[in-house]
Amino acid sequence: MPLPAYIKKDYKRTRTLHGNWYLMNYKYKFNLSRTKVFLKGLKEGHILGLKCRSCNTVSFPPRLICGRCLVMPDQWVRLPETGTIATGSASYDTNDKNRERPLPVIAVRQDGADTVWLHNMPKDIDFHSIYIGMPVKAVWAKERTGSWFDIDHYDAIEDPAIELNKKEQEK
Amino acid sequence: MAHKVQPAIISCGFCEHASKRSDVNMAELVNEAVEDCIKKANIDWKDIDAVINGNMPAFEGANMPELWMGDHMAAKNKPMLRVTTGGTTGGSVTIAGYYSVASGLYDMVLAIGFEQQSCGDTTVGLASVGLGEFTIFSDLGYTIERMRSNMGGGAAIGIASYQAMNYMRRSRATEEDLARVVVQNRRNAAKNWWTHLKMPSITIEDVLDTPYISYPLRFGMVCPASDGACAMLITTEEKAKQIADIPVYINGVASYSNESAILGIDCAGAGQVDPCEQLGAMKSAEVAYGQAGISFPNKEIDYAEVYSPFPNQELMWVERVGLFEENKAPEAYQNGVTALNGELPVNCSGGVNSTNAIGASAMERPAEAALQIMGKAGNQVPKTVHTALGHGWGGSINLITHVVMSDEPQRKWR
Repeated sequence: MPLPAYIKKDYKRTRTLHGNWYLMNYKYKFNLSRTKVFLKGLKEGHILGLKCRSCNTVSFPPRLICGRCLVMPDQWVRLPETGTIATGSASYDTNDKNRERPLPVIAVRQDGADTVWLHNMPKDIDFHSIYIGMPVKAVWAKERTGSWFDIDHYDAIEDPAIELNKKEQEK
Repeated sequence: MAHKVQPAIISCGFCEHASKRSDVNMAELVNEAVEDCIKKANIDWKDIDAVINGNMPAFEGANMPELWMGDHMAAKNKPMLRVTTGGTTGGSVTIAGYYSVASGLYDMVLAIGFEQQSCGDTTVGLASVGLGEFTIFSDLGYTIERMRSNMGGGAAIGIASYQAMNYMRRSRATEEDLARVVVQNRRNAAKNWWTHLKMPSITIEDVLDTPYISYPLRFGMVCPASDGACAMLITTEEKAKQIADIPVYINGVASYSNESAILGIDCAGAGQVDPCEQLGAMKSAEVAYGQAGISFPNKEIDYAEVYSPFPNQELMWVERVGLFEENKAPEAYQNGVTALNGELPVNCSGGVNSTNAIGASAMERPAEAALQIMGKAGNQVPKTVHTALGHGWGGSINLITHVVMSDEPQRKWR
């Protein structure tokens, strides 16, 4: 189809005016009641999930409201340190200026929880070797300050079903 | 859902898409598409009753741009509505146009989606969208560097790379399969006059030679950022029959939302453990097909336009909306089922993979599908198209819109 006649390639350039915005003057308020207990638990070395009494869904990290039942979950449960990889990717650490080795990023589903969240694996693990369903274990940071990164990273542990998983991938 | 008035598309207009349309400003860009649309329909701009428009807010550094382009949208003395839902803006604008006509309020509605991304910084728009989530992130002890690296580079590709990982695991698709989709899209785009990335001689090896941008997606597989606009005229059945040779009747629309992948509600983790599961898309397709009276989408739909900025999504969507069996899409692409002369052509306009002007992209899908039914598309499929599907994806990376259209009105449900 030929170009319509009115699209002229030889328009005169339009004038351009540069503008600038300050972006960081926002206020955003949010509820801390769920994260307080959670972060305190991490500081003490416990992994806590929040369980909805109505549908028994365990969220890790905790959620303020259960989306299924529309109630506030209030039952804290201790979760084991192990989990499985739900999905993964790789990216470069921003502090790593040379970009020598990508950092594996994984979404972990903690055993006993129903939700996933992002964490990292150590840099010396090849990101090609990550597969979905791979079992991992949380490694605690040396100094715990009460933040999500009290869990320093997740490490791979022995997979009893590795043969099955490999077969599944190669099919 | 039976409606009193049957809405129909009579004409679709595009402007030329490019990475930098520095020859026009935003208003003139929109006007190109509007003029094209009105000219093709052969009507006067005074016949239009109402105007609905939308774009992704702040992606071009201008908020409420419709205030200074009213004249360019043929909106003088007419009611105007702005709809913005992020990536699905175009789809939502189309649905809003459908509602306005189906309700009987207006006879002729002009729907417009546009975006001039070269004007501003996409990051500004995303920062204002994501600020609430970033605040909660930092509350949990995330630094901004860690946040950026863990979100896989941020924005849509961060989610798409996880989707790709899970899709490849599920269907055993390889990177070659992804590259094949890209090659098909870019070659199709070369035959369409308004598209952005025209690559008539691209090969699978060319795509696989490019570096990773976010594993497993490569630089060559990612959509561009375009400037462009799309306009569409929606009117009643009676008027459409007078004006157009082949009016395209909109028979089913639906928009559903999933839980936001990876980050979830308030950044408290995703309940959607598998990012390529896409229950929202399945539900929305089911509802739209139900309205249109389609029971077997894989047999009844002749042409599909799906919103696929990344190739793994195209494979994923065509399965989730019921066009192919689960995990069978890579095979279909390999066998040429989805090619221009195949049984079920998909994205013959080049798709979002070749042209992505955010606010216009989701509208270009139903618009191209409508043009294929009219027989006026830039890259027309050789077979006759009776029923077609236009799909959109976006919002907070979880909203899905569906528009099912046909050359026959929705008789059996009245």
